[in-house]
Amino acid sequence: MSTNFLEVKNVDFKIGGKTKVKNVSFSIENKGETICLLGPSGIGKTTILRTIAGLEKIEKGSIKLNGKLLSSNEKNVEPEDRNVSLAFQENSLFPHYTVEKNILLGAEKNKGRKKNKLSFKEIIKLLDISKILKKFPHEISAGEAQRASLARSLLTQPDLLLLDEPLSNVDQSFKEEIQVRLKKILNKLKITTIIVTHDSYEAFYLGSKCGIILKQKLRQFDDPYKVYHFPNSIEVVNFLNRGILIPAKVTSQTTLENDDLGLIEGRFIKNYPIGANVQLLLQPEDLEHDDNSNLKLEVVDRKFRGTNFIYTLKTLSEKLIPVLVNTHHHEIHEIHDKFGIKRPIRLEHIVCF
Amino acid sequence: MFKNFNIWFASSLIVSIGVLIPIITVSLSFFEDTSNYYQILKDTFLLEYIFNSLILLVSVLILTFLIGTTCAYLVSFYRFPFSNFFKWALILSFAVPPYIYAYSLTAFFENYGTAFTILTNLFGEGSYNKHIPKFDGVFGSILSMSFSLYAYVYILSRASFLYQSQNLIDLGKSLGFSKFKALYSLIIPAARPAIVAGLSLVAMETLAEFGAVDFFSINTLTTGIYNSWISFDDLAFSNRLSFFLLLFIFALFIIENFSRKKAKYHFNSRGGFKQKEKIQLSGKNSFFAFLFCFLIFFLSFLFPLSQMLYWTIKFPENLFDLDVVTLTLNTLYLVTLSSFVLIVFSLVSNYGNRVSKNKTLNLLSTLSISGYAIPGVILAVAFITFIAWFDENIVKALGFLSIKKIFIGTVLGLVLVYFVRFYSLAFNGIKSGYEKINISVDESAYLLGYSKQKTFTNIHVPFLRNSLLFVGILVSLEIVRELPITLILRPFNFETFATTAYISASEDLLEAAAVPSLFLILMATIFIMFTSKYILREK
Repeated sequence: MSTNFLEVKNVDFKIGGKTKVKNVSFSIENKGETICLLGPSGIGKTTILRTIAGLEKIEKGSIKLNGKLLSSNEKNVEPEDRNVSLAFQENSLFPHYTVEKNILLGAEKNKGRKKNKLSFKEIIKLLDISKILKKFPHEISAGEAQRASLARSLLTQPDLLLLDEPLSNVDQSFKEEIQVRLKKILNKLKITTIIVTHDSYEAFYLGSKCGIILKQKLRQFDDPYKVYHFPNSIEVVNFLNRGILIPAKVTSQTTLENDDLGLIEGRFIKNYPIGANVQLLLQPEDLEHDDNSNLKLEVVDRKFRGTNFIYTLKTLSEKLIPVLVNTHHHEIHEIHDKFGIKRPIRLEHIVCF
Repeated sequence: MFKNFNIWFASSLIVSIGVLIPIITVSLSFFEDTSNYYQILKDTFLLEYIFNSLILLVSVLILTFLIGTTCAYLVSFYRFPFSNFFKWALILSFAVPPYIYAYSLTAFFENYGTAFTILTNLFGEGSYNKHIPKFDGVFGSILSMSFSLYAYVYILSRASFLYQSQNLIDLGKSLGFSKFKALYSLIIPAARPAIVAGLSLVAMETLAEFGAVDFFSINTLTTGIYNSWISFDDLAFSNRLSFFLLLFIFALFIIENFSRKKAKYHFNSRGGFKQKEKIQLSGKNSFFAFLFCFLIFFLSFLFPLSQMLYWTIKFPENLFDLDVVTLTLNTLYLVTLSSFVLIVFSLVSNYGNRVSKNKTLNLLSTLSISGYAIPGVILAVAFITFIAWFDENIVKALGFLSIKKIFIGTVLGLVLVYFVRFYSLAFNGIKSGYEKINISVDESAYLLGYSKQKTFTNIHVPFLRNSLLFVGILVSLEIVRELPITLILRPFNFETFATTAYISASEDLLEAAAVPSLFLILMATIFIMFTSKYILREK
């Protein structure tokens, strides 16, 4: 018998008669856990949330919450009868009520059932929306509307909270701070949450697990570290866009060789026969900068990211390799400069396909 | 189709089908036998009917285009004395239906009419009748309809001009265009869909017009339909003529819908929009702009109003003979009842469409709102045809008593046909209110534990209250002005201002028609004043 708090089993997620994501299975083991779903726009992430909220029906598979069947081919508990809250990406505040009244409607739903672990005032303060309480939805910005909608959802104290791109309209400068506050609120309220986002850093920070949805399938569902460092397919590597694949030949149980970079050492996370031709995943932090090295590659681009630079280097076989360097490194290289790579190349883990 | 069947879906479906019945009846009656009258008419007057209808249509379209767009252009782009007043005053012509305008024209220019009296008072006795032009017949009808209907073009083109960005004007300047060249090569083309939409409404109203053409004894398809039924008691032929007219109107309806859809592309997105700055006119330009707007305002509103007022004062006995209280109560009774029924059903129907998300239902709704395009005469005749058929083939066949008395010549029948005719106004008015409520608002309500009914009553109705008020007043305005349906279907001895004016005018008692016409204009003006802020809103 299943003991998972939320269990999605073999579900085809459809909207308007069109299947968006097929045969999806994942679960949230413990109450209060937060998971994130990542994927490109239009892939069906929102459809998954809408279906779990009961706004869309399913014809295959089942969705159970706390042991209770919510959706299946035979059964569909109406949205108003599931204690599930969905905060929409777009402004879904009631247009004729003030922001305050909108948020208080969330508390009304919860009236007499549970005592809120965080008061209305605390949530307002944490989400920094006290200045807009007396305003109407059309008088506030999209980012403020998102936070107000989030506050309303939080106040309902749902069994399951679904957040659709909750911070997509929040200013970049304020985003990280709100992420921290959101995490704090979710931890304090112990609300089980699914967050949909296309921002992998947001997902890696907020979720204890991340699901990657690509080409109509849930490609990987794992903890953020593993998703980043041990992607299970070339599609996931391409989606995360944080590394490149270069051809290499396995030369021993701990080494492989690339025509441009030479010998590469490390620990394989999967066994390959010696002599096998593979695609090696190289992430920006894998190669180290060393101008004394005899392995020199040409700089074709340099991106300044505040705390670091990401150099794009061109190999002899015209491959482009990203290398991350601390901003304060002693010599800044210009385009067309030669850039040294420390040898021997030693990787923490070797991921190949 | 019935996957999402619920009470909202069912209500919406019933309303849509109910509204479609007259259209189906007319279409089916096309194949029925007609009397000899059809043959006689085909050989004699049918071509004249069609020709007159076309002449009226083309002329009214040209005049309303010139008047409507020029007024809209002047008040949207320029500032001149009273320009803000004219912005509002120019829609008052809606308060004067074409048939009342026709009475005023005749009263003023007829032999020994008001113009004659003015000239006599000013210059003494003389043979002025020879020199006073006569505005009757086709020309009188064209003027009556143009001055009454140009406001459709004015309102829609003004709205479109308002949405035109300053960037468009600046672009013209940078290309070295003169003001006139900018007008015909940039401004008018950009507003084309709105102008076409306005002209389509004018076209539908022109083809549907009964009162004015009947008063001037012009044979058109609409009067043909009325006469074939009233004079020759030939319902089938009446329906056959209606079918021809319907085909014509549907073509216009499709053009109008098409241009409305395209109109969306002509509105600038918020990002690229730069608010237009009105140009302050001075000198003779300012005077001519003022003069033009004043002339149109005078001719379309002040002239018929003062003519009716003048006769009311000149022949006060008509005022005392008229049972104003009963007429007011009758008119208000119809207005209140019909508006209430229309609003309730349109609201339910809109919500039904929203929650059921059913394509078939959406299609039915789109078809059912075509009632506005169908002349009142056709609807009234189709209604009688349907009731007669239903009574004969269903009610009596089942052994029940005749239902004709319940529906024909009763307020119930009248309200039902008003319902069909004005359903699109109410439905679209509420729909445009609904379009401002994002669907995720409903879903948020469900997720907060609201049922569909609670979402409807607690979220939608309070939000839509302004739209409902607007729709109510708009429908009231139409019903106050409406003539043919009321004339054909009203209960015995039940009169409104419109029918009283028509009856007096058709008996050549124009002086007596003045009092009810005046009250009608005043009542309609009040309704317009209430709705003007919605019609003319600039944001």
